[in-house]
Amino acid sequence: MEIIIAIYMLVWPVIVAGVLFVLVRGFVKDWREARAEGRSII
Amino acid sequence: MEMQQLGAPIVIGLLVVFFGGTLIMSIMIGKKKENADGYMNAGHKIGFGISAASMTATWIWASSMYASATSGYTYGISGPIHYGLWGALMILFIYPFGKRIRAVAPRAHTLAEVMRARHGRSSQLMLAGSNVLGSVISLTSNFIAGGALISMLSPFSFTQGILFVAGGVLLYTLWSGFRASVLTDFAQVVAMLGAVIIIVPAVFFTAGGTDMFIAGASNLTPQQSNFFSSDAFLNQGAPYIAAVLAYAIGNQTIAQRLFAVREDLIKPTFITATIGYGATIIGIGMLGVMALYLGIEPVDGDTNNLIPQLASTFLGPVLLGVLFIMIIGSLASTADSDLSALSSIMMADIYGQNIAKKGKANPKTMLLVGRISMVVATGAGLYFASGALNILDLLVFVGALWGALVFPVIASFYWKKVTNAAFTTSVLVALVVFIVVRFEWIELTGAYGIAIDVLSVIGIGVVLGIMAFGFFGKKVGVTVGIVASLASAPFAIGFLHDYAVLSGSLVAYAVSTVICYFMSFRSTQNFDFKVISDRTGDFDVVSDAAADLDRKSTPTTR
Repeated sequence: MEIIIAIYMLVWPVIVAGVLFVLVRGFVKDWREARAEGRSII
Repeated sequence: MEMQQLGAPIVIGLLVVFFGGTLIMSIMIGKKKENADGYMNAGHKIGFGISAASMTATWIWASSMYASATSGYTYGISGPIHYGLWGALMILFIYPFGKRIRAVAPRAHTLAEVMRARHGRSSQLMLAGSNVLGSVISLTSNFIAGGALISMLSPFSFTQGILFVAGGVLLYTLWSGFRASVLTDFAQVVAMLGAVIIIVPAVFFTAGGTDMFIAGASNLTPQQSNFFSSDAFLNQGAPYIAAVLAYAIGNQTIAQRLFAVREDLIKPTFITATIGYGATIIGIGMLGVMALYLGIEPVDGDTNNLIPQLASTFLGPVLLGVLFIMIIGSLASTADSDLSALSSIMMADIYGQNIAKKGKANPKTMLLVGRISMVVATGAGLYFASGALNILDLLVFVGALWGALVFPVIASFYWKKVTNAAFTTSVLVALVVFIVVRFEWIELTGAYGIAIDVLSVIGIGVVLGIMAFGFFGKKVGVTVGIVASLASAPFAIGFLHDYAVLSGSLVAYAVSTVICYFMSFRSTQNFDFKVISDRTGDFDVVSDAAADLDRKSTPTTR
């Protein structure tokens, strides 16, 4: 039971890491596209 | 265990790195002559990375971190779920409406502006007024969170703390407005999410790992140990489901990002923000559950102190600094969004459409109005945060107003028959009924209590029906609404009025829906939604050549 609660508590940072990866990858893509088109990223 | 503090030079250093970094980012995208529309919506074409990061950062605020930990501490292992999951799902549930709103008004700046195009001035001003008030309250709340954090973790006082935070946020947001807000959100979300990835496991293992569950099991009541706790659902989850839908529809910070992201990226942006917000807030809420297992008593009995207290007890100075940046990032990202949202409303809804003559709004004056609004709002936030006025009661009214607005606003984007009279009357009556129920001006007993339960049951159907409608259309939405009301009636009638907060929210949904529907369904109005696109648009039309010239004369992130 203790192991299950531990997994339940620690799974969230793992998901957060996945989201952070997606966001950083998206930002780099935005930045590259903006640079290729010669415009500001925002 | 002894609590640690960060030294004054370290805190100053962290603040300089954080706000200095965001200021540099803001300067990099700054233009000598900012565009009024860019100041409000960044040209409607933000990419996925920045928009998803910004939506996530804006939705996560310091109060939500504290509240999730409080929920974990109060309701046990299911507590963070009943705070974070429902808040996250609301981002998901509003995206279908977001797509519709954007399709109807592709170049709008604020939802209030669209309501004026759809109905007229009264509906616009109700939304705009509630948003200005909501932004100032949110701003104040973030300043308070910053002041409390700095005073707890450093030798600086609360007043010095709120001045640091307010000054830092205003500094990097003032010149470029929304453009600065969304770009810096990216850096802030990286800091916040990175901190969550490190801090939650660090506290878990330092506090004893799985041993704390064995040693501290007796600290939990049966309800707190139960993942399907009815206490947690009825006291935390259910009121939050009702409240957050209202927040999502009514809040300009969300609408502003909806109008700013590239239209084809609305769906992935909202889905990513849903997962990002949910995992972050539930993860942070686990610190509250750990505190419960460890038998920790919050300093001064205030559960808002749990996160800094746990960190300063179990983390070393480096990780304490990481936590400090996480909280500062969460409150700064929301505070700059509030400033941008408020300034947009003052620019577009107050100056652009109610003070300037029709079609004569001067973009330069608009920018001035926006910047002055930010300075005044920051001053007001500081004044309220210093304890000069208790704003918590105002928050209740804003939440109720947004709850009353949900059905009339959504119906106005799909149903041609909704009239201005139906919109305005339904919202105002619902607000009055909410106040009477929420503050129990009439005792919730006997036949009156049962009548309120019946309205609450209708409210349950409205909330769930609206959610289903967004994804699956009218037939499924109506069916889900009716089934939800009928299924909940046997359990809710005679019982739900014991929960005045929940009843008040549900009644606001029900009353506004019923009145709006019955005042509209026999109406002969046949509104043409194409008109909205014509009535909303850019204030500051700059030729491509001029824009190119401006780009070449100013540094960019390239």
